[in-house]
Amino acid sequence: MVFFLSQMVNGLTVGAVYALIALGYTMVYGVMRLINFAHGDFFMMGSYLGYTVLVTFLAAVGLPLWLVLLIATAIATLGVALLGVFVERVAYRPLRRSGRLAAVVSALGVSQFLQNAAMLIWGARFQAYPPWAAPDAAWNIGGVSVSLMQLLIIGISLMLMVGLYLFVQRTTAGTAIRATAIDHDTARLMGINVNSVITLIFIIGPALGGIAGVLLGLYYRQIHFTVGWSYGLKAFTAAILGGIGNIPGAMVGGLLLGILEMLGAGYISAAWKDVMVFGILILLLIFRPTGILGERVAEKV
Amino acid sequence: MSGSRSARLLVSLALLALLSMAQFARAAEPIRIGLQAPITGPWAYEGEMARNSVQIVADEINKAGGLLGRPVEIVLGDDQGQPQQSALVAQRMISEKVVAVVGTYGSSVNDPAAAIYERNKLVNIAYGSTAESLTTHGRKYFFRTCFRDDRQGEFFANFAADTLKAKRIAIIHDNTTFGKGLAEAARRPILAQGKAEVVFYDAITPGERDFTAILGRMGRTNPDVVYFTGYYSEAGLIIRQMRTLGIKAPFVGGNAAVNDEFIKIAGIDIAKGALMTQEPLPTDLDYPESKAFVAEYVRRHGEAPSSPWPVYAADAFKVICAAIEATKSTNSDVLMNYLHNNLKDYPGITGPISFDAVGDREGAIYLAYEVFGEGDFRPRR
Repeated sequence: MVFFLSQMVNGLTVGAVYALIALGYTMVYGVMRLINFAHGDFFMMGSYLGYTVLVTFLAAVGLPLWLVLLIATAIATLGVALLGVFVERVAYRPLRRSGRLAAVVSALGVSQFLQNAAMLIWGARFQAYPPWAAPDAAWNIGGVSVSLMQLLIIGISLMLMVGLYLFVQRTTAGTAIRATAIDHDTARLMGINVNSVITLIFIIGPALGGIAGVLLGLYYRQIHFTVGWSYGLKAFTAAILGGIGNIPGAMVGGLLLGILEMLGAGYISAAWKDVMVFGILILLLIFRPTGILGERVAEKV
Repeated sequence: MSGSRSARLLVSLALLALLSMAQFARAAEPIRIGLQAPITGPWAYEGEMARNSVQIVADEINKAGGLLGRPVEIVLGDDQGQPQQSALVAQRMISEKVVAVVGTYGSSVNDPAAAIYERNKLVNIAYGSTAESLTTHGRKYFFRTCFRDDRQGEFFANFAADTLKAKRIAIIHDNTTFGKGLAEAARRPILAQGKAEVVFYDAITPGERDFTAILGRMGRTNPDVVYFTGYYSEAGLIIRQMRTLGIKAPFVGGNAAVNDEFIKIAGIDIAKGALMTQEPLPTDLDYPESKAFVAEYVRRHGEAPSSPWPVYAADAFKVICAAIEATKSTNSDVLMNYLHNNLKDYPGITGPISFDAVGDREGAIYLAYEVFGEGDFRPRR
């Protein structure tokens, strides 16, 4: 039981990161029917920006740690959001009327561009977040070890996800997003500025990815320019699992994927973990092609 | 008339000059030797150091007048640490008509390339691919300056049982040709000797970051020592996550874990005391050739190579050049025969080099390294 609970805590931590990234995939897909393969790399950029801000600018300032982390996260998030808007302008908007394949290829191109840019800027070596930045505190609750970083990751992710859900469901801007997701042209006839909605999507999605990137760096300390691809793939899987285009689906998919992975690695074999996870995904897609929560088409975002 | 004649004379003279220049160019046409290494991708760091090392050797040879009166030239092929890319690089080396190839780093990456080189009868000398399987295909043109994994596995088995007095050993690998090969090579002698038992044996997926699940399962088997046979990036995460989970057993890494990045990722407090089985680092080599090489490397790049592998690449390059020099030939079969039969105890940077019938390097030198509090690896005394 203790072992099971430990695996659940680990699974929720990993799953929360997947979910945050999956939200970016799912929102862009919901509004633009585009699988934004560059999204994993926004997340990677968040990791690196947070790292740079921490190491270069905030290392010697002498502010309290929580403030330093807050500033680093804020700058990284802002930076990635700007990058997202820029990429949408340059790589997706000109292709909006050229069919879905062109946009997907463009997204893959952006992904390659960002990875190589990161390699050239920060180098091919692994970078490590400074040890003073990540709190090491951990507790042993009845044999289950829980660290402060795990609680932070789970807590912050849940807050962001609930916040996003409320934003999309309760605000005017959220309503505009939902309307655009259903039909661009009709939304435009209703007086919605579709371009601003898409820009908004490309602020929120990458920003969430950026936050996830900083959290990941603080948790594992090790970052690398290829991290966007592996996490991007898992998050994309999570989005599909939950039903792509559906915001609660991305959250459920991410958490479920994290837990499945950890239980698979913990009880069966780490070597077979991915086989099991993707096996479940294949079965699910055969019997429920829209994903777990994917059937409410009208609410798709 | 006379004007036209002098013009004709001029043209002939010019042609003659051109021809003689072409002749000259042909005489100085460089001997091209390939270097296949991961210049980009996850192992880019290793690739960079290999390129630096080979460059030093090539520059030295060219400064001393080249090979057979011709300069040597490195033809660089970036395999990105990926098997698919590796095959493409191999094809390119063939079409570029290089004399021989140095490389590459990872065993699983080397395999497809070695197969292509073999088909095209091109001598290739690996510098970091230590998996046993590479010399079990009966390839004639494949050599390596690094040592084969099973010798390291044996070293670990003895070290764990005799020096660390371990009774319960956990082994984790990463399912790459290299990691799995070394894990198998360690498990076999442990089972055969019967001094200790293997209580845990499983694989992680490289490129991932969270290993708490597999480590948690391992922790329940109460190992006395944990042997991880994968690469430094995962090794750093594993030791950190082990300690966070409260698993206190000594951590021993294989030779792919030896890298400063391991300490950076784990953090020095956690990395301290970690052990590694490996070939001696360039700075721990005691031959005059190694001292001179390391000094030159430091002069050029400000620091010594931080892993053992780059100097094996330099040695592979040196051995190819020595074979060309000794046989006065750039013919693959001549070089291959020379390397198999005539090259004995060539004074390399990493010690004396001879190859056996399957292309493995003879002898084997391993050490147990320990991470010290100052953040460096030193041989365990």
